[in-house]
Amino acid sequence: MTKDVLATMVLPALARAQTLEERAQLCAACHGEDGIPQQKTMPVIWGQHQGYTYLQLRDFKSGVRKNDIMTSLVQAMDRNEMLALALYFFQKRWPDLQQAQPPADVAARAMQANTALACTGCHQGEYQGEGTQPRLAGQTREYLHQTMIDFRKRSRGNNPGMSDLMLAISEDDIAACAEYLAGLR
Amino acid sequence: MTPASVIVGVLAISLTQAAVAQEKPAAPKTSVTPSNVTQDMLNRAAGDAANFLHTNGDYTQKRYHPAAQINASNVRSLRPAWIFQTDVKESMETSPIVVNGVMYVTTSFSQVYALDAQTGEQLWYYKHPLGPITIYCCGPNNRGVAVYDDKVYLATLDSKLVALDAKTGNKLWQADIADPELGYSETMAPTVANGKVLIGTNGGEYGIRGFVKAYDAKDGKLLWTFDTIPESSVGVWAEKDATGRDMHRNIRAEKEQLAKTGDPYKTLGGGVWQNPAVDLASNRIYFLVGNPSPDLDGSLRPGDNLYTNSLVSVDLESGKYVCHFQYIAHDVWDLDATSPAILVDVRDRSGAVIPGVIHAGKTGHVYVHDRKDCSLIRFSDAMVPQENMWTLPTEQGARMLPGANGGVEWSPMAVNTQLGLSYAINLHQPMTYHVQSTPYPGGKLWLGGAFKVIPTEEQSGNFTAVDYNTGKIRWQVKTPQPMIGGILATAGGLVFTGEGNGRFRAYDAQNGNVLWTFNAGAGVNAPPSSYTVAGKQYIVVAAGGNVQLDYKRGNAIIAFTLD
Repeated sequence: MTKDVLATMVLPALARAQTLEERAQLCAACHGEDGIPQQKTMPVIWGQHQGYTYLQLRDFKSGVRKNDIMTSLVQAMDRNEMLALALYFFQKRWPDLQQAQPPADVAARAMQANTALACTGCHQGEYQGEGTQPRLAGQTREYLHQTMIDFRKRSRGNNPGMSDLMLAISEDDIAACAEYLAGLR
Repeated sequence: MTPASVIVGVLAISLTQAAVAQEKPAAPKTSVTPSNVTQDMLNRAAGDAANFLHTNGDYTQKRYHPAAQINASNVRSLRPAWIFQTDVKESMETSPIVVNGVMYVTTSFSQVYALDAQTGEQLWYYKHPLGPITIYCCGPNNRGVAVYDDKVYLATLDSKLVALDAKTGNKLWQADIADPELGYSETMAPTVANGKVLIGTNGGEYGIRGFVKAYDAKDGKLLWTFDTIPESSVGVWAEKDATGRDMHRNIRAEKEQLAKTGDPYKTLGGGVWQNPAVDLASNRIYFLVGNPSPDLDGSLRPGDNLYTNSLVSVDLESGKYVCHFQYIAHDVWDLDATSPAILVDVRDRSGAVIPGVIHAGKTGHVYVHDRKDCSLIRFSDAMVPQENMWTLPTEQGARMLPGANGGVEWSPMAVNTQLGLSYAINLHQPMTYHVQSTPYPGGKLWLGGAFKVIPTEEQSGNFTAVDYNTGKIRWQVKTPQPMIGGILATAGGLVFTGEGNGRFRAYDAQNGNVLWTFNAGAGVNAPPSSYTVAGKQYIVVAAGGNVQLDYKRGNAIIAFTLD
């Protein structure tokens, strides 16, 4: 979505949206009608945990997480509306993106990164996430990779702890993790 | 026996969402009836072979059970009496509480079961409706409940204190402990003493300001709060740790930072992970305060960071400060104080027997203190390898042992006073310590760097008996994996503990010989309990694995008795 499209189509539609369903429909423009994102760099939000999605909406609104489009979209939302929207998407079924499982050496490298940093200590067993910890299993590979790199560069600024952790592993480790996590269900 | 249904495989993602969570006490199916717990019962728990009334056995927290029916000569005949499968297959850290034939256990995500302790049949089940915001370190664990009068007390991941009807599991009242959106959460079990429910908090990885709070056991009214971080947290600019080693602080730089930004007390961390010990004679409680926030970056928090990494005592009635002892001032390694305090008579430096308090640190030392003023009498031999202490973290990573999990993690020790031994389980995880500096992120993870396991170096664990009157290691048994969970000592001359590989073992308390082994099929990473029903002694433990060390998950409560 370009800023022009946002300004001419989405924001006026957002202003007219009365119900949660109508508001959620606008999200489908990028995140997919069926939960499968339109672009691979867009995250899956269907089935994502309510607490995590809420925190992202909150952080977009405050500007702690930078994204002009998302910041515009959530600007008029209050806490309860964000929680309700996050719950709406959590109750949708996580889509199967049919992403390939990685070769053994890539999986081994990813698992070694988990041993080093204890990723599952927060993201839980099988990387299913919980509460405010996002599910990583089956997320789009491109989004996972870009997000971890953004954390590493601190260009994603709403979780400095994640930035610290990503700085403690290499970009090759990150690539392996993205491929491994995308292949999980 | 009618085991509860089992969720196998994936985490049940519906567990924590407010909209779908339920509170569903089930109708009792057995004849056993939950009975009330009096203050007198709680006071006398150390000698009560029928019950296990406190998370750590009794108010002194020795985790020593007086029943001796199961002993070194017959423990080889110990067999499962029953296995109860909970609905939650995730990390288990619960200490089973037993009151006159009724057992209370908890699971991850703050759920409670009441069971018939003789048969394992379910009496009721409380599924706490967690709010959408839960922010916590190291897994959705819960370490158990407290019992008093006709109530069962639970602290939850979304930072609530809940009182349940012991007979039905119905919620009687709920109190907000702190704001979960700022990084506060609860995994510890409460302690009840003299009508007060005592609770600490998690959050040292999120820039909280820690506390211990006391609530009225009847109605949940807040009675007092002790802030574990005082408004003046700077201290004495200590340059050496409790063992006398230089911590390589740059005091000058810290003083300059203090002049610029002031006292950092509002976001300095200082969680309290484990139950306080209660000294009934002096009416004082003793507890351990965890690490400063951010864990590895000291540049933003000048000073000693009181009372992080400290043993602290406060008055039970008022919550007023009594004394403290800080092990590591201005910690930048997360080698904090988590394992619970134990009250035991010890020999002081002159050889006189005095009331003492002991603690096992992530450093791998058992620290022995004078209960009167918290002062340190001695520290034990190191139970794990120590190398390059205290090398400061660097951006690229500096290797130092122990790793940030210890030594001794939250795992409670046990004590056998006849032998003068304290028993501790340890981790050996070589790590590099990395530092990064970022400002307070408003309740988000705030490590100030990373502690990174070195994948090419061997990890292991050990089970160690320390003579607390000399500080010498009496015996030590190496284990193939780092150990986390807890220990039970019994009057039968035994000590029980479990491992991440599923082994649950009985050891000879005198020499560490392995006398019995059971494989639970999932990590045994919870403290065992013991009790007696209808003339038979039982040992009970949870087998649910561990999130933090990624040990195989399970959902079982397993009770053992003699064949």
